[in-house]
Amino acid sequence: MRNSEPGSPVSSIGGRVPAADAGAPIARVFESMRPELLRFAHWLARDRAIAEDIVQEALLRAWRSRDALKDPAAARPWLLTIVRREHARLYERKRLELVSLDEVVETRASPGFPEPGGELFALRHAIMRLPIEYREPLVLQVIGGFSTEEIARELALSATAVLTRLFRARNKLRVIYGLSAAPDAATPESLP
Amino acid sequence: MTCDEARLLIGADPLATTPELEEHLATCAACARFREEMRALDAEIRRALEQPPDIARPRSAGPSPAWRQWALAASVVVASFAVLAVWLLRPSDTLAREVVAHVQAEPESWLATQHVSAQGIAQALRGAGVALDVTSDRVMYAQSCWFRGHYVPHLVIQTARGPATVLILRHEQVRARRSFHEAGMTGLIIPAEHGSIAVLTRGAGDPDDIAGQMQQEMHWVPGAP
Repeated sequence: MRNSEPGSPVSSIGGRVPAADAGAPIARVFESMRPELLRFAHWLARDRAIAEDIVQEALLRAWRSRDALKDPAAARPWLLTIVRREHARLYERKRLELVSLDEVVETRASPGFPEPGGELFALRHAIMRLPIEYREPLVLQVIGGFSTEEIARELALSATAVLTRLFRARNKLRVIYGLSAAPDAATPESLP
Repeated sequence: MTCDEARLLIGADPLATTPELEEHLATCAACARFREEMRALDAEIRRALEQPPDIARPRSAGPSPAWRQWALAASVVVASFAVLAVWLLRPSDTLAREVVAHVQAEPESWLATQHVSAQGIAQALRGAGVALDVTSDRVMYAQSCWFRGHYVPHLVIQTARGPATVLILRHEQVRARRSFHEAGMTGLIIPAEHGSIAVLTRGAGDPDDIAGQMQQEMHWVPGAP
């Protein structure tokens, strides 16, 4: 599903994909993916400004390594992987300032966003509150469409550990959804 | 395949299926139900993730220098009102949060499907100084729970609009009714003859209806502790 990640790190930041090549098909593919990459990064980083930085940096990396993308049809998982790694890199480098969820507020009340007090609203907040080790595989699976094996490779975990994390992530959300938490089905050997 | 193995697979990916899993589900109703629940939950998770979180820390827009003094004065006034408001509202607000937290800690209470016997209801009410006219065929859950230093009756009553949780808080005085929404629940705390009554519903339930009903069906026992 994935191509290999682009090679050497790129430290530059700045504008969008170079304008001189903006007409190139691959540039259009990258740009068309930007909203989805931003949503993905936003759920990982929980901060829009950081998510925008991550996506910008990831797109630049992708652009500079575009020759590694052999099949344009594989651009989506390739870009999502780069975004995930960029988030991990930033997370490790800066130990991102924690976003206190007691301080955050829903900034939009536009149509399509769940109203405060609703179950969907509560679920979104519960997902936000999941620790990164549970939120990350869930977002990779649901938004990214990655398989358990692909998530395991990406996170350098065993497949069983990924199953355990996904199980626990959903189990934590069951209560929000009004269901009782299921007994932890993970065996000690499968603990991450 | 064991139930634990099946649930691990289902919980990790409710849409995934394998021949072994299907074989297990064909003979295990509990795991089959678990998969139905998890698929319904998964659909909601996918809906929840369709939009970006769109949350941000509140950002303070920098006022222009000319307005700073006015802004400072205004902020002092606002802060004074805020302190006053917190002082006035804090007890019931805290009570509401603790009621929600208590109900969240007993998620199984919403799922009860068996009626509680009259004896079970009596046990839950014992010591709370209250009698209830409600017929046992409407009570799906009745426990005496430790809450804020007292045992209080925790009931789940079946209504036409779904289950409603009722906590009878004889020792919690509130000055006025207070409604709230939290964690997917709609709540109401109202003053009662002795103490207060908290009602929580989910979905289409109307706490006002339940609270009014409870006030009619409850009888406070004089001289109770």
